[in-house]
Amino acid sequence: MEEYPEELRTPPVTLISVVGCPDLHSTLSKHLHSEQPPINTLALPDFSKISLFSAKPDSPSPPPPPPPPSGILKRDWLLKHRTRIPSVVAALFSHDHLSGDPAQWLQVCSHIDQLKAILRPRNIKLLLVVVVDSDNVDDLSEDRMLALRKRAELDSKYVVLFNQNDSSALHRLGSAFAELANLYYRDEGRRIKLRLEKKTFNSSSIELNIRYCFKVAVYAEFRRDWAEALRFYDDAYHTLRQMIGTSKRLPAIQRLVEIKTVAEQLHFKISTLLLHGGKVAEAVTWFRQHNASYRRLIGAPEAIFLHWEWLSRQFLVFAELLDKSSAAIKNVSSLVLATADKALTEWESRPAYYYQLAAHYLKEKRSSFELALSMSETANEIDNSAESVVPSTYVGQFARLLEQGDAFALQSLTDEEYIRFAIAEGKRFQDSFEIIALLKKSYESYSDLKVQRMVSFCGFQMAREHYAVGEFDNAKPLFEGIANLYRQEGWVTLLWEVLGYLQECARKHGVMKDFLEYSLEMAALPVSTGTDTQSFRFKDCGPAGPASLAQREVIHKEVLGLVSGESGLASVKNSTNLKITGDNPLHLEIDPVSPLRLVLLASVAFHEQMIKPNASTLITLSLLSQLPLTVEIEQLEVQFNQSDCNFTIMNAQRPPLAATAEDKEGRRVETSPSLTLSTNKWLRLTYDIKSDQSGKLECTSVIAKMGPHFTICCRAESPASMDDLPLWKFEDLVETSPMKDPALAFTGQKATQVEEPDPQVDLNLGASGPAFVGESFIVPVNVISMGHAVYSGELKINLVDVRGGGLFSPRETEPSSMDSHHVELLGISGPEGEDETQLGTDEIKKIQKSFGLVSVPFLKCGELWSCKLEIKWHRPKPVMLYVSLGYTPHSNESTAHKVNVHKSLQIEGKTAVVISHQIKLPFRRDPLLLSSIKSVPDSDQPASLPLSEKSILIVSAKNSAEVPLHLLSMSLELDNEGVGGSCSMPHEHETLLDPALLVPGEEFKKVFTVISEANSSKLKLGTVCVRWGRHSVNEEQSSSTVASVLTTQTLPDVNVELPPLVVSLDCPPYAIIGDPFTFLVKIRNQTQLLQEVKFSLADAQSFVLSGSHNDTVFVLPKSEHILNYKLVPLASGIQQLPRFTLTSERYSAGFQPSVAASTIFVFPSKPHFKVADVEDKRMESLVAE
Amino acid sequence: MIVCVAVVGHQNNPLYIQSFTEADDALKLHHIVHCSLDVVDERVNNPKKSGPTLNETFLGLLYPTENYKVYGYLTNTKVKFILVTTDLDVRDADVRNFFRRFHAAYVDAVSNPFHVPGKKITSRTFAERVSTIVKSFGLSTAG
Repeated sequence: MEEYPEELRTPPVTLISVVGCPDLHSTLSKHLHSEQPPINTLALPDFSKISLFSAKPDSPSPPPPPPPPSGILKRDWLLKHRTRIPSVVAALFSHDHLSGDPAQWLQVCSHIDQLKAILRPRNIKLLLVVVVDSDNVDDLSEDRMLALRKRAELDSKYVVLFNQNDSSALHRLGSAFAELANLYYRDEGRRIKLRLEKKTFNSSSIELNIRYCFKVAVYAEFRRDWAEALRFYDDAYHTLRQMIGTSKRLPAIQRLVEIKTVAEQLHFKISTLLLHGGKVAEAVTWFRQHNASYRRLIGAPEAIFLHWEWLSRQFLVFAELLDKSSAAIKNVSSLVLATADKALTEWESRPAYYYQLAAHYLKEKRSSFELALSMSETANEIDNSAESVVPSTYVGQFARLLEQGDAFALQSLTDEEYIRFAIAEGKRFQDSFEIIALLKKSYESYSDLKVQRMVSFCGFQMAREHYAVGEFDNAKPLFEGIANLYRQEGWVTLLWEVLGYLQECARKHGVMKDFLEYSLEMAALPVSTGTDTQSFRFKDCGPAGPASLAQREVIHKEVLGLVSGESGLASVKNSTNLKITGDNPLHLEIDPVSPLRLVLLASVAFHEQMIKPNASTLITLSLLSQLPLTVEIEQLEVQFNQSDCNFTIMNAQRPPLAATAEDKEGRRVETSPSLTLSTNKWLRLTYDIKSDQSGKLECTSVIAKMGPHFTICCRAESPASMDDLPLWKFEDLVETSPMKDPALAFTGQKATQVEEPDPQVDLNLGASGPAFVGESFIVPVNVISMGHAVYSGELKINLVDVRGGGLFSPRETEPSSMDSHHVELLGISGPEGEDETQLGTDEIKKIQKSFGLVSVPFLKCGELWSCKLEIKWHRPKPVMLYVSLGYTPHSNESTAHKVNVHKSLQIEGKTAVVISHQIKLPFRRDPLLLSSIKSVPDSDQPASLPLSEKSILIVSAKNSAEVPLHLLSMSLELDNEGVGGSCSMPHEHETLLDPALLVPGEEFKKVFTVISEANSSKLKLGTVCVRWGRHSVNEEQSSSTVASVLTTQTLPDVNVELPPLVVSLDCPPYAIIGDPFTFLVKIRNQTQLLQEVKFSLADAQSFVLSGSHNDTVFVLPKSEHILNYKLVPLASGIQQLPRFTLTSERYSAGFQPSVAASTIFVFPSKPHFKVADVEDKRMESLVAE
Repeated sequence: MIVCVAVVGHQNNPLYIQSFTEADDALKLHHIVHCSLDVVDERVNNPKKSGPTLNETFLGLLYPTENYKVYGYLTNTKVKFILVTTDLDVRDADVRNFFRRFHAAYVDAVSNPFHVPGKKITSRTFAERVSTIVKSFGLSTAG
């Protein structure tokens, strides 16, 4: 597109001219240029230059009938109207000239006359501008203006006053210019249109018809009347099409060249207009028609290259146009491009498509140009005459420039001369670079669209061009990328071609490795002369020749020659003959994603998935090759991750090479009768193998030695997880399996697990019975060496909750649990009870809450080592104890050789002592406790104690374990904080002199008295501390040595309150039948108020009673009311006293002494007591049942 | 005239490709068929919203190259058929008819119990049938 002249490429811009008042010109031209649409200004400094616009000298006289035109479009016509012929001439006169003296006025008049004379023949419009200042606007006389107007014969609106200081004046002037210019272009257009319609010109002259159409269109473009412009360009184009074959004006070749050049210009205009209007679909359709109507106009055979060049340019220009308006094209895919009959595809609206075709036609041009060049060279008459050929006055015509003295004359050319000229011109261009550039544009454009196959195709063409001009470095990466796509999608014939190029690149570069890789891949491609592929005899097949089985064999033989070192690779670059020699060995790697898997595939399977150390198992090695000829392998080296297992398989048919035998000394060498690989046939080799190292044994690779200095390292693959062979998987072949055993083919793995050697060390956990909460439970651990010595032994201890989860539960956030662990590993003590500090510092010992690590010293065979684990339970909970011993049986072995012994033991944690308590009030003394009246029965309110009364607290400890326990002491510890002195209790700290033995289920009780002294709703009673230990059967272990355990339990709080009334019953300890005794009921009022009390005494069967049954009495404050009864018992034994019931009016609460308090034992006769000294002990302990 | 027909598998691998030209441009046709797969992908991935091609096996004209027109067809099992023709004026009905018959031939070929799905079609009967269909292209509606 850049080669088009500027005036053609850009839309035409109105041109006007200004003359006079040169100081204003720059202001005016700047303003007009910034107008929308812009106007170009031709500034003439004075009126003498006006003659530039004068028409041809012959214009005044009517021309004789014009000669038939010798061309279609004049080359400079458009430029003339763009730059030289203005549409409007504005004459600027200053105010002074008009209002000044008559001499100046006369000059003005003469200027106007001159202007009129020059402009009229060309119909150029005239505009008169009178430049005034703001101060002399009104000076201008009306009649002077009128005179001016008449002189110029102008309408009043085209005589403009221009005030320099008025900004709006510029705008007015601008619109006047625009209006006049529009008028001019319309008139001109109309004039020529009239000629077209009336056929005033020689109607047989199609050239003029086309020219007029073109002019009308250009004038319309000046007016921005795009629709009309398009119509007339279209007309011109179609008329031009008719010219082909009818015009006889020029020699045939040049005639076609002219028509095509004009058509190209018209087409360019039409496409530009269509695309600017956003009519992409129309533009594409238009281009298609353009292409269709001219593509077959090849012209004379010697000038074919001109046609292809022209066609290529059409595509390129259209691509560039599309590219430029690509913003409008963005949404083209959504456009429904399908027209009524001919569907457009979305590709046709993409520049890449046109770039690609432009490149394609340029390639055509190149080949035909080369042909033309060779023909002209044989004639060998390239003379200098071509140099003087220049473009002539008409578009698309060329002529010879003849120098005749000072004058130049143009002489028309013959076709032969023209062709010579064109060939000379064509030689200046390097088509290959042009083609690469075009393809690159297409390549990039397609890449943006992410259409990889189109990209590949463009890339392939690019790479081929690079290859053709010898730029192998550029070609190689492109070819490689394309080869990858074809490999992936299995397009074998295309891959073959690309590989052929790559192979040649490598050959020319002298890169032996690449060359061999590409050659081997090609040789292994699934190309056959089967039914699916025809016998390809491509006329433009790659350097590798047609894809066929025979060609594969040729390549394979070449490779074999290279590998054996017999032949060499002729490199272009170094011009040396490369050979694979001892100095220059070659090693190829094949991994599971390599394309060379076709060449050699190694599948390895162990027959067993687990093996014992030093036990031998079988391993099957299967090799497959798709090379067309049989391959003989000299030797195979099988490598494992345990290098001791590596072994080599020699080919028995080849004499072993001395060098290799020395190298592999000490290694295992097997010999196979034959190591020959046939096409698509597995070579299976089975050997036994053993390993003494535990862990994974994996076959890593198989190295095949093909020639004296050529090896292929093939990564081993498991048959179970092996991918299909790429490319070959699409072929209709019989599936073969690498293993004979189908089960092994499905499950075989290239790795096996070598088990650990059996441990010969015994690990004992000697704990018995359940553990108790609180005690340090000892678990003895014994390590007994039974056959192995223990080196660098390590004992790992783990405590795991049986129910799963951790040994602590975050939900239980009681502060009483001393830490988060319910079961804790306290310590590990060594043998003979040695202390932790006595253990060597170098020995590892790490103890955490649930994990411990301790090192075991060296043990000889038969030795024993033991230690004790100390575990403490904070909560009753079963726990799993895992102990594992890791050791090495030999002192010098690596750590990989560890033997592990594992043991586990479940241990129950139980509560040994259950503590309960009971509070009793004084006998036959009942306080009225208000809180207990109000309380709902069975509620969890703390027990209430009367103030200043002596209560009894009984604490009992029950053995809930399954073993007898020793109870060493029981005490109550007061919290001395807060309520000190509020409650006094006799503090008992004395341990029992003789520890009580508690058999399972037995209970130990201890009685405390409590006197509360403060009125407190929450009284802490303290904590019961029970010290106990296991009762050991053997006597020597006295209770002192057995670790005693302290179990504590906090007693619940009690409520202390002052009872308003206290009722105490007073009667003798026993009675005798028939013997009367006094029964006193004392009602004590402890309040400051008078208490009204109702009481009643029910009759009892066994007693005769005297005294009031029912009454209401008033008890004075802080005083005691005593009711006195006399009773005579009638029956013996435990008898119920008459029930006394009391109701307090004030508190509307009644209460009754308990049944136990109102019983008495009646003797049948007076008993005889033997009075003994009873030890006055306030506290007594008794062991009750 | 039909110059090339192809059956393309799921991995865009050629299952059957046959050209019918005297000129030795089979390789070029391979390239054209391969490139047309891009268009098939695009058609399948971005179907036109209101187009009549929705849910239709016939994909229509894929793209015009300098001398050829490429048509596509996608079976329900996502196997692609590609047709390359040199005719400038091709009736849609002819192409549809061709693809219908070609599809039938393909179905018969892969229904062979000895054919492994996903592998190249090597059946000679299929090749013969295809060449018959190719020869009769454009004649069926005329005659």
